[in-house]
Amino acid sequence: MTTTTAPPELESQPGRLNRLREALAIVFSSRTAVVGLAIVIFWLAIGVISLFWTPYPPNAQLFDPNLPPSAVNVMGTDHLGRDTWSRIMAGTQVVLLKTRLATDPRVVIPGGVAIWGVIGAVLVGGLLGVNAGYRGGAADQVIMQVLDAFIAFPVIVLYLVIVTALGRGDVIVILAITVTGAPGVARLVRGLTMDIKTHDYIRAAETRGESKWYVMLWETLPNARGPILVDAMLRVGYAIFAIGTLGFLGLGLPPPDPDWGSMVNDARKYIYSNPLAILWPSLAIATLVIGVNLFADGLREEITRYQR
Amino acid sequence: MSERIHPLALQAADKLERGRISRRDFLRYATLLGVSVGTAYAMAACAPAGAPAASEAAAGEAGAAGGITRGGTLRKGVLVQPVDHPARLSWLEGANAVRLVNEYLTETGPDNITRPYLLESWEASDDVQTWTLKLRQGIKFNNGDELTADDVMYSFSQWLDPEVGSSMLGLLSYLDGMNSVEKVDDYTIRLNLTSPNIGVPEHLFHYPAVILHRDFQGDWVKQPIGTGAFTLEEYIESERAIFKARPDYWRMGEDGKPLPYLDEIVMVSVDKDAAVAAIQAGQLDTLFKPRPSDFLALKDNPDLQVKSVATANCFVVRMRVDQEPWDDNRVRTAMKMCQDRQKILDLSYNGEGILSIDAPFSPVHPAYAERPIPAYDPEGARALLEEYAAEKGVDLPLKVTLATKNDLSEPEIAQALKELAAPGGFEIALDITEPNGYWDRWTEVPLGITIWAHRPLDTMTPPLAYIADADGAPVPWNETRWVDPEFSEKLAQAELTLDIEARRQIIGDLEDIMQERGPIGNSYWTNEWEIFPKSFHGVIAHPSNFDFFYAVWKQQ
Repeated sequence: MTTTTAPPELESQPGRLNRLREALAIVFSSRTAVVGLAIVIFWLAIGVISLFWTPYPPNAQLFDPNLPPSAVNVMGTDHLGRDTWSRIMAGTQVVLLKTRLATDPRVVIPGGVAIWGVIGAVLVGGLLGVNAGYRGGAADQVIMQVLDAFIAFPVIVLYLVIVTALGRGDVIVILAITVTGAPGVARLVRGLTMDIKTHDYIRAAETRGESKWYVMLWETLPNARGPILVDAMLRVGYAIFAIGTLGFLGLGLPPPDPDWGSMVNDARKYIYSNPLAILWPSLAIATLVIGVNLFADGLREEITRYQR
Repeated sequence: MSERIHPLALQAADKLERGRISRRDFLRYATLLGVSVGTAYAMAACAPAGAPAASEAAAGEAGAAGGITRGGTLRKGVLVQPVDHPARLSWLEGANAVRLVNEYLTETGPDNITRPYLLESWEASDDVQTWTLKLRQGIKFNNGDELTADDVMYSFSQWLDPEVGSSMLGLLSYLDGMNSVEKVDDYTIRLNLTSPNIGVPEHLFHYPAVILHRDFQGDWVKQPIGTGAFTLEEYIESERAIFKARPDYWRMGEDGKPLPYLDEIVMVSVDKDAAVAAIQAGQLDTLFKPRPSDFLALKDNPDLQVKSVATANCFVVRMRVDQEPWDDNRVRTAMKMCQDRQKILDLSYNGEGILSIDAPFSPVHPAYAERPIPAYDPEGARALLEEYAAEKGVDLPLKVTLATKNDLSEPEIAQALKELAAPGGFEIALDITEPNGYWDRWTEVPLGITIWAHRPLDTMTPPLAYIADADGAPVPWNETRWVDPEFSEKLAQAELTLDIEARRQIIGDLEDIMQERGPIGNSYWTNEWEIFPKSFHGVIAHPSNFDFFYAVWKQQ
């Protein structure tokens, strides 16, 4: 009997496609996830469009301040006579699409502050959690006690400490989201690791003589990715809130480039004379957070069902 | 050259014509505002003879309202701050509480004119180095003791004692401690200045300068003894303060009985957002120092009245001349040319203010010399910057960082300037922090926006900010490090010149120097507001946000 082996590239193509198809099938089998995804895609599209076009330059003071919505300014103008819709559009970029590094000349990297913040939290929290869960004993005690101490602080206090100590800027906000998000991720990953490390394939890897780092990074974490992914999606929602909260406290991203939280804070001062100005950025934050949460919830439901 | 008439003098002439003030009041007022006696008489002659006098704002309103009524409570939203020794007051909120109980020797009114208060009169020697202060007689403290020169001497001793830590000590730097303060008799005090100064009456109205009882021990909350119209009933920090009317106050009301008209003042410690909501709900009557957004929120409320007053408060874009690129006057001038003053005023202060000329002299100052308001000129700015860039071998746009704080109108000014300066060749990065973040470094940043408070006299701000000390080093508040020998010399001259016309000439020269090579851009002077229910009368909007409630009355 002869056996023929297909070249690896031919074998992997259908595999990847299949996996993508399976992932999409999971998303599309949940109505909740579809609605969430639609909202997220809407804002992503708005953000991408705003990279090339907005009705008016978002920082240009072209109109009278605090104008109500009209054909010229569909969402009215803010307290500095800037077009609110143009600023809402551009505000999407900093949340989802781009991060400005405080370099001279300024460098912009793809991926918004919320996205990088969550990536930071997942990386830091994931590494700490997998170490605590896998190593156990004193390492577990020390890591988790320190992280619990962080969790004990109110999140806003941690934001204030970080921003006051380090200043303002996109990277600082990313750091704030990372520091406040990492303990939660670590707790989740530790729990998953403690379960996974009882499985036979971990024993097999240890018997093969693999290093602890190999077992943690190549055997444990990939098998925990489903819950971590769902948690990360939820954390994008928290991160958007965090950016909004920092902006609202006047500690967020530096003006004049728009971010939704700062827009709410600015408009709040004029709430009696121009109440709609506070509504638009609030709605933007709320819809994007709801979209991300619905998507994550839908995914969790379907993944759980799929695993059963 | 025709004589410049102070705008307030023109308003006074109008009031005279309509019978709101007496001829004598008008003449005193006009001459204090720098109008020459001849011109003042000529202006007065245009009014009908024998116009009836009604000097008090409250009385004027009483006629319209059908008579003053007594009683009622005024509730004000203001932070109730810790207060101990009034000489140490460093915030206006606390000073406004103390001001209800204790009073000053002089009073600078909303018209920016300083008049006697607990004093009956003052007299300066020709060289303005000896000042004789005469106290009113028969004024009693709320413990029954009569106010005498001993109380004034004690108050001076507290202001001038370094152990007490009063900001009066620096302000009265022309006094050699109590060696310069002399009790002539029970109602007369003489100040022998070590150097001449025309600002003595204004300095005696600096907010910590309330007159204390000679037995005061150092804690005002425990020992609230004063000559004022109200007595302290309760003072709970960060909660509330309650003041009750005093039955034997020395000033008399229009109805022939002692002031005040109100029974009670209640201060409620809330932040401004909460105060605005409480006013709209009728839970408070007014709030301390409304912000532009509070003004916008309340100005159209049909139950409220808004009184506004022009001031010398300003937000100064200041440049450090000892650091690049601000050491080059072309760059400083270019930045000044990038101010579209009307637009900055409209965007950051609802258009509520007077445009300015990049000098620390406001039209409300008595000796202000009028100059044209510079136009927005980005092309001119760019030409200057191109010249600078070619010489220095740098590229345009010129990258600079503008630092400021985020609690008042500074962020709006900064953002407006960033946009306005872009076509002029500047690329401004904004570094906006919470207030303490800026106050920690306000004298250090190369480019910043700093708020400078109202001072009633034209010669009061420049010595704090634009000169050097005796050793030639910039004075501590000289945040720009700009020291100009010609400016310093002329300023010293102005400080010795009581005659308004002569001083206006000098101030005009100082304004020209500032515009030509000075270190600040100043787009406008702010208005301040008092917002009250229409049922309150006699409310005064003061440029320094000082409360005067002794003649306020409430329609019952």
